Amino acid sequence: MRRVIYALLATTAVALASGPARADTKDMRIAFSNNYAGNSWRQAMLKSYGAVADKAVQDKIIGAADVFTTSDKEVPTQAAQLQNLILQGYNAIVINAASPEALNGAVKQACDAGIVVVSFDGIVTEPCAYRIRVDYRALAAKAMDYLATKLPKGGNLLEIRGVAGTSIDDDFHNGTLDGLKKYPQFKVVNSVEGDWDETTAQKAVSTVLPSLPEIVGVVDQGGDGYGAAQAFQNGGRKQPIIIMGNRQDELAWWVQQKKANGYETWSASSAPGVSTMAFWVAQQVLDGRKDIPHDLVDPYLAFTQDTVDAALPKIPVGGVATIEYSQDDAKKIIDDNMKK
Amino acid sequence: MIASMRRVIAQPWLYSFVGAALVWIAAVTYTGGYGAGGMLSAGIALAAFSVIVGTAQMFVITLGPGNVDLSLPANMGLASAVAMKVMGGCDALVLVGLVAAIASGTTIGIANYLLIRLLRIPPIIATLSASFVVQSIGISYGRGLQVKPPPGFATATTVQIAGVSVMAVVVVVFSVGIGLLLHRTTFGRSVAAIGQNARAARLANIPVERIRALTYALGGALGGLCGALLAGYFQGSSLDIGNEYLLTSIAVVVIGGTSVAGGRANVTGLWGASLFLVMLLTMLNTYGVSAGVRLLVTGLVIIAVIVTAGGPRIAR
Repeated sequence: MRRVIYALLATTAVALASGPARADTKDMRIAFSNNYAGNSWRQAMLKSYGAVADKAVQDKIIGAADVFTTSDKEVPTQAAQLQNLILQGYNAIVINAASPEALNGAVKQACDAGIVVVSFDGIVTEPCAYRIRVDYRALAAKAMDYLATKLPKGGNLLEIRGVAGTSIDDDFHNGTLDGLKKYPQFKVVNSVEGDWDETTAQKAVSTVLPSLPEIVGVVDQGGDGYGAAQAFQNGGRKQPIIIMGNRQDELAWWVQQKKANGYETWSASSAPGVSTMAFWVAQQVLDGRKDIPHDLVDPYLAFTQDTVDAALPKIPVGGVATIEYSQDDAKKIIDDNMKK
Repeated sequence: MIASMRRVIAQPWLYSFVGAALVWIAAVTYTGGYGAGGMLSAGIALAAFSVIVGTAQMFVITLGPGNVDLSLPANMGLASAVAMKVMGGCDALVLVGLVAAIASGTTIGIANYLLIRLLRIPPIIATLSASFVVQSIGISYGRGLQVKPPPGFATATTVQIAGVSVMAVVVVVFSVGIGLLLHRTTFGRSVAAIGQNARAARLANIPVERIRALTYALGGALGGLCGALLAGYFQGSSLDIGNEYLLTSIAVVVIGGTSVAGGRANVTGLWGASLFLVMLLTMLNTYGVSAGVRLLVTGLVIIAVIVTAGGPRIAR
């Protein structure tokens, strides 16, 4: 009986979602508040956003979609920027926030002024805002599943952590712990901090590697895989299975190793194009949809041994793999979230 | 004999080498002797970079109180992008790329000096604000992309003979050259003289402003060079490549026995201090401590070293 009700609810949701637009958003304006642009992920994020939002403006779906970037990852700068956007009378603000809590005051002000706030990547905890997250815990657990299928006998793992204190790092770590519980044949022999950065990761792995026994796998958080591979190579070690994170250099190295010696691994990360998902969520809310949950999960983007070759040429050299969502894609993800 | 031993013991740089050795022993003891050589070999390779940046910072700090270059990390980030883009993955253009990186760094150094001199901004603020400008230039120039080095250049920065990084050996030779420049040339002695007492130096007919300009330019140039080398070693340019060198560049100078108040530089100490910091990182990583503990210990150690080693000299 319960299952039937759920099914009915889901069908209703789909029907509602695909129904006609209830409000006209063509005169409405969406601002994008961003706090950093200095790495390949952020650049891809801005590029995807620009492409999708500009097209939406051209197609008269939305009135204006302006991007505002502060450069220094600082909370006060972004808070001041939010105040400005409120005063400028935007209808919605899409935000990649410098802090999950510290911007809540400014976000609340925006909500009180009737502005729709959609946060992604760097999310805000203020309840009135929407949050689009990637389930990194599931991603990390999936990476452990992959290692278990490739290495049924288990062995020693090296863990590379992300920026300490972030929710993303915690999620990844917990996912790895879930996997370790499930597959007790694996043991994490050391854990270093790589900050999602190839330089930091290479340095950390280089310093710790001489003291480690044979490593069969590296569990990491993306952006650090290539640095780890370099450290193993410079240290004269056999390459373990290094989980990759969709950066072009990681995938290029993988493809090259695959050709040379049949190297196998798996790659997954959040797509920078999640910015376009946030854009469409903002547009949908402006369109009058009241049924969208405030916490949305965006599926991560993964590549396997079979899909990596085709994907690599499409990623700009030195960049990161992404997908840009159309309005229909976004609606589908919203519906998937409502079914949960 | 005893007198000469006493002289060696009185050298402030000695402690950094002793410290590095102790930390290395602590790490090796933990692993039961396993990986001792590997740790040393990785440590020496990484220390070479801190030495180059430290040399840049040492010259600037030696100019006297208040002089510091906080734009080095941004400078290195931009230079890494400039070098990799100019080289364009082609081994024939390695020298051109290095020259371009040094030119980019020198320009930033001169810009720093002009901000300090013409607008009369204190160096700490001038170089910090310059670093924001440089970072922005880096973002619009590099678009955050990681450009790979040419294979030959990457090999040159990483290759090891019998476990010793060839680049580190080159940097040792470079350090000897810097030592000569500092202690045996008019320029080097002028830098120290200005640091000891700028007014006295001026009265002694030292072209104080020209030397200061040259020093900031030299510091910038070394930062640029280091950025390019880092991009070779770490297989790709990145605007964040120099981030951790803000604290490191100042820490190696101070731990190495150079006077924070200026006027006294110590090149040998840069090596001891760089090895010490890298070995500390190695040890903490080997122990597998969390990031928070690692930062805490690093900070406390730097404070402790400055208090114990730097104390009497500052009081003087």
